[in-house]
Amino acid sequence: MAKKITAFVKLQIPAGKATPAPPVGPALGQHGVNIMGFCKEFNERTANQVGLIIPVVITVYADRSFSFITKTPPASVLLKRAAGIESGSPEPNKKKVAKVTWDKVREIAELKMPDLNAGSIEAAMRMIAGTARSMGIEVVD
Amino acid sequence: MKWVEIQIKTSKEAVDAVSNILYDVGADGVVIEDNDIDIAGFDWDYVDEDVLENIQDNMVTTVKGYLVQSPSLHDKISLIKEKVNRLPEYNLDKGPGKVETIEVDDEEWSNWKKYYKPMKIGPEIVVKPKWENYIPQEGEKVVELDPGMAFGTGTHETTYMCINALQKYMKAGMDIIDVGCGSGILAITAAKLGANHVLALDKDDVAVKVAEENIKLNHVEDIVTVKKNNLLEGIELEANLIIANIVADAIIRLMPAVEKNLKDGGLFVTSGIIKERQDDVMNYVYKGNLSLKERMEMGEWVTLVLNK
Repeated sequence: MAKKITAFVKLQIPAGKATPAPPVGPALGQHGVNIMGFCKEFNERTANQVGLIIPVVITVYADRSFSFITKTPPASVLLKRAAGIESGSPEPNKKKVAKVTWDKVREIAELKMPDLNAGSIEAAMRMIAGTARSMGIEVVD
Repeated sequence: MKWVEIQIKTSKEAVDAVSNILYDVGADGVVIEDNDIDIAGFDWDYVDEDVLENIQDNMVTTVKGYLVQSPSLHDKISLIKEKVNRLPEYNLDKGPGKVETIEVDDEEWSNWKKYYKPMKIGPEIVVKPKWENYIPQEGEKVVELDPGMAFGTGTHETTYMCINALQKYMKAGMDIIDVGCGSGILAITAAKLGANHVLALDKDDVAVKVAEENIKLNHVEDIVTVKKNNLLEGIELEANLIIANIVADAIIRLMPAVEKNLKDGGLFVTSGIIKERQDDVMNYVYKGNLSLKERMEMGEWVTLVLNK
């Protein structure tokens, strides 16, 4: 049978811990995908990355079967890990909670480059640095 | 349960900053709608025109997060709005920067239920959702199911293969243990195939509750006992057949206990093994005292039948 795509769904969800609760339930349920089936396969494929949030792009076919690919964790998650913090600052404009170096920003930008469509490494770095500041993480030399 | 969907209209470059704003107020994940889909990376023959049009129309990037209705929700939404508005201070394009909320009910995404129809698996078993009508043909045994929020609907390849394996290898009068029973589908199938007794185990409270309800629905309470238990820890019972449709790592951890809890000549039917992990499981099998009787494959998944 020819494989006809009827939807693309982009999610960011915790590795190894997908459940039928939102966002997975509403995002996939509306396309008739077996939510449990997706959760089981996603959790198994990402079991070795538990603790990270993973972007996943799900392709839904006309027969309601699906396939998916996972991507590198969002910049915010990589920044938190690099800075050793659990969450961003409640007042990022006033209260800074951590620091990262430009070298680290470059490293994260290089890792994320394939998924970003940022054009250049400088554009990617500007985005990562902006994300860092929005979380109350200072970028220092 | 009532949820609130928070939609934030933003720009492509601010997606990770915006999703983080949602994580910081307690969202367990986000949905992203944009026009940045590289369809070359997928296995497909053709794409619904509407899908392509929708992708092209998504000039604005939307990030959606979900929070449970609570008294603190209003404060959380104010905080989200404030943080989104400040994005330009950090040299990020906030795009339209609009924050909208919609109330949603978890009934709304149980849409998949309408595609879940009675399904014949192997020579005898028909798995039927509770809300469907089905008149069994001669020789058919119906397993009735309301999967609720637990795993196991029969539509998944691993469950399908396990039900087939039970029909092939199970004999009436056997004692069975189902490790990681989920909705109870395999335990109930075993009961319908004439098991003497089935012990169904799951470490998840939701699964235990759902399995108990399904067992009642199928009138097999006298045969199937459900217990909250982690794998086979502390279980003394010896079985003719142990079935475990779980995941590769748990199967590997389970293997020594299976050898102990299986009677001589007994069978271990196990699935939930994704193809790329089958070598890990098989390496463990080679070290132990079980031998491979049959290997089944369907889609991305593998089922093993092992003999003691």
